[in-house]
Amino acid sequence: MISAVIKKEILSNLLSYKFYVVILLTAVLVVTSFFVMARDYKERLADYSLIRPKPGEPIAVNPPNPLSIFAKGLDEAMARSFEVSIIGIHVRSGQKSGNAVFAFFPAPDFLYIVRVILSLVALLFGFDQVSREKEAGTLRLMLANPASRGGILAGKWLGNFLTLAIPFFLVTMLGTAVVNLDPAIRLSADQALRLGLILILTLFYIAFFLSLGILVSTLTRRASSSLVILLFIWALLVFILPNLGTLIARQAVEVPSVRALSEKRSQIWTREILLLTRDVGDRASHIKAISAENDAIEADYRIRFDRLVELARTINRISPVAGFIYAATEIAGTGVGEEGAFKNEVVRYKNSLLDRTLASPDSGMADHPAFRYTYRPLDRILTGGALFDAAWLIVFNILFFALSHTAFVRYDVR
Amino acid sequence: MMTTLVKKEILANILSFRFVVSTLLLLIVIPATTFILTNDYLRRVDDASLRRAEIETYMRNYAHFNRIGGILQPEEAPIPFHALIRGLSADANLGEFDNDPLPVMFPLIDLVFIVTIVMSLTALIFAYDAVSGEKEDGTLKLMLANALARPGIILAKIAGGGLTLLMPFLLSLVVSLLVILIRPGIAWKGQDWGALAMVTLGAVFYVMLFYSLGVFISTRHQSSSSSIMTSLLVWVLLVLVIPNLSPYAASFLAPTPSRIQVEREAARLGDTERDKLGRKLQAERLSGLVARYPILAERLSENEKKRLMEQDPAAREAFAAATKASQEAWDEANRIQSEKMAAVRREADLKEEAQTRLARTISLASPLAVFTFTATDLTSTGLRNQAHFSRLSRLWGEDFGNYVRKRVAELQAKDPTADWWNTAVDMSDRPRFEYREEALSGRVSAALPGLGLLFGYGLIFFALAYVSFLRYDPR
Repeated sequence: MISAVIKKEILSNLLSYKFYVVILLTAVLVVTSFFVMARDYKERLADYSLIRPKPGEPIAVNPPNPLSIFAKGLDEAMARSFEVSIIGIHVRSGQKSGNAVFAFFPAPDFLYIVRVILSLVALLFGFDQVSREKEAGTLRLMLANPASRGGILAGKWLGNFLTLAIPFFLVTMLGTAVVNLDPAIRLSADQALRLGLILILTLFYIAFFLSLGILVSTLTRRASSSLVILLFIWALLVFILPNLGTLIARQAVEVPSVRALSEKRSQIWTREILLLTRDVGDRASHIKAISAENDAIEADYRIRFDRLVELARTINRISPVAGFIYAATEIAGTGVGEEGAFKNEVVRYKNSLLDRTLASPDSGMADHPAFRYTYRPLDRILTGGALFDAAWLIVFNILFFALSHTAFVRYDVR
Repeated sequence: MMTTLVKKEILANILSFRFVVSTLLLLIVIPATTFILTNDYLRRVDDASLRRAEIETYMRNYAHFNRIGGILQPEEAPIPFHALIRGLSADANLGEFDNDPLPVMFPLIDLVFIVTIVMSLTALIFAYDAVSGEKEDGTLKLMLANALARPGIILAKIAGGGLTLLMPFLLSLVVSLLVILIRPGIAWKGQDWGALAMVTLGAVFYVMLFYSLGVFISTRHQSSSSSIMTSLLVWVLLVLVIPNLSPYAASFLAPTPSRIQVEREAARLGDTERDKLGRKLQAERLSGLVARYPILAERLSENEKKRLMEQDPAAREAFAAATKASQEAWDEANRIQSEKMAAVRREADLKEEAQTRLARTISLASPLAVFTFTATDLTSTGLRNQAHFSRLSRLWGEDFGNYVRKRVAELQAKDPTADWWNTAVDMSDRPRFEYREEALSGRVSAALPGLGLLFGYGLIFFALAYVSFLRYDPR
């Protein structure tokens, strides 16, 4: 019985105007996004090959991450060039584009397309599942057969999910294959695995919005009111809550402004250098003082900032959308947690350099090891919250489907 | 008759479910956002005054002329409008080691964001069945059976629908202003109110444009369900896709060399190539001197040179001429190469400007981008303000440079032996950087084309809806 409903749903979808508009839009957007972001990645890679530190240069640079094509996240911040010297860590200028329009709108990466557009598409598939059939009078006919309501609902859900997910999945796979053919962008086995996980998450994300659509459809009598409610919920979940959550968290946690930090740092080193030129104390003690104060600032900031991120995450989890963004970017290695770990590595590198210089002052910074950052392994990312976010999405899915089942069992089909 | 039609539209809308939902949503979201942003603004004001005090304390103890540039960086003070609109002021500070990653992941939400995304979507939700819905209910036939002209009907539809749509928005804006005004510590001046009036006008144009667009799409469809599909498709393209793709498209069409490459090239010109040229010019000039001073052709060690210079005035003259010629040759090489470097940098700058212009032009196809640029320029939070700020910074930098030179000259006249660059001195009379917003008149005249464009888009969509409705089949 379920298979008959699934078949019917798939066929009726395939014959609808909606299906073609949506699939065409999704395909065009995903392909465009891959093309644009792959080009962006290659440009950043070319820049990286220019600024790559030569042996002996005290510079910490991490190459751009190929997964940033799919989830750009903070990759731009992580691929900056950090020049280490006795006065601290200096960010090399000139890696950003001079085109200020980039700063106005978020990057159109795969994650953005999924987050904003596929969620909308999933709602468009779900919003009229029950109310339309009722309006058309076919729901009565269906229930006149020996078909259980639960079976019908499950069949509807599956049929729609398949028509949505299969074309999307094929387009994404095709796009990924094309991107991967480029010799500049070879994904390693680990990266391919991460990408696979992101894709699975994406399917859960789409499923969540489909469940939401069906739920609201079983709660309303008319398809048009169902759509109105859903669009407002969508705007709240996708746009308003995640962005507002971060702002609310800032109200609760005192984090010094970036400007205050950088001013403190420059005050520390100019003071110490001045004292040094005045011959107060020896060079090593001044360098140690600069480094120690800088690291104290950094440690304090990190503690507060982590608290802020944790709180923002907790608030944001009201909306599964934020959880999805967090999980996907962390898995891709472009998330907030990864960036924090990376910065700690840079600070550690700076300290190891300083220790060497202080130990042998005349050698300069010539023969120290190059900076290398290894991304956190997948299992640590998953246990560190990504798994929770994924589970959260699944819980939302099950919950919404159960609710729609409850509502559908009581639905008046007349 | 017209008033009856408008009244009918307004009533039908006000009593509708979507009106209730959107009013609630806007009344919660806009004031809540404003409240949080106001807190954030006050916090930034505190932070700024605290930092200023710290700098003053520091300067009292350790002020000296060398390396002080890093301490006295000009900065944009928080402005009262940040309680409503953030624009580019919420940047992530990628130039600092301690950048803030959160705004990159979750862009801040402010009035511009709410107008551009939430209000445009609401407008389409109100408009998608304005015509097709009436047709489905059969009321359109009845209306047209009376002595009503079609132009009157469509005009009343857009006027009435637009009014009901703007009501909740303006109401929530008023509530937000109350939220701002009852807070101590935030004072709006006349120019802020002027900017707000212009931004509100832009928002009204923007919302009306989307409403007209929705009505137009509604007149192209026989059923409401396909009308909303098309509306959402168009909305996704106009609001979520075109603006985000525009800078990437521009970088594809008008490529710029990366800044890293430009600096590489400039460094090569100023270093290896300069050395080559310098050596070449030096050799040329010296070979010209050899005819006059044969002594220069001899290979002499430094010690022999010294000895000769002490003994032989002719040799001294020869060596002096050679030194002068070398100096001139290197000066010449430096001059030529710095011109080349400047040319390379200028060319890169021009290309970047061209790309930015192109990106802006492409994005103007999207009303969202037009409104974003216009609103941020009006409120000193956009691209125009960045240029204004760098102008102010440059002027202050010149002032400060002159001050330092003057002071150092004075001090050296007093005591020429001391190293005045690395001595703590009293600099309390230094020129201080004061950020002032650009005058409102300048901002408004810059925003007029954008407002005109929004109005023009609205007019085009209105005309399309009008013409399309005249041919609509009401059966």
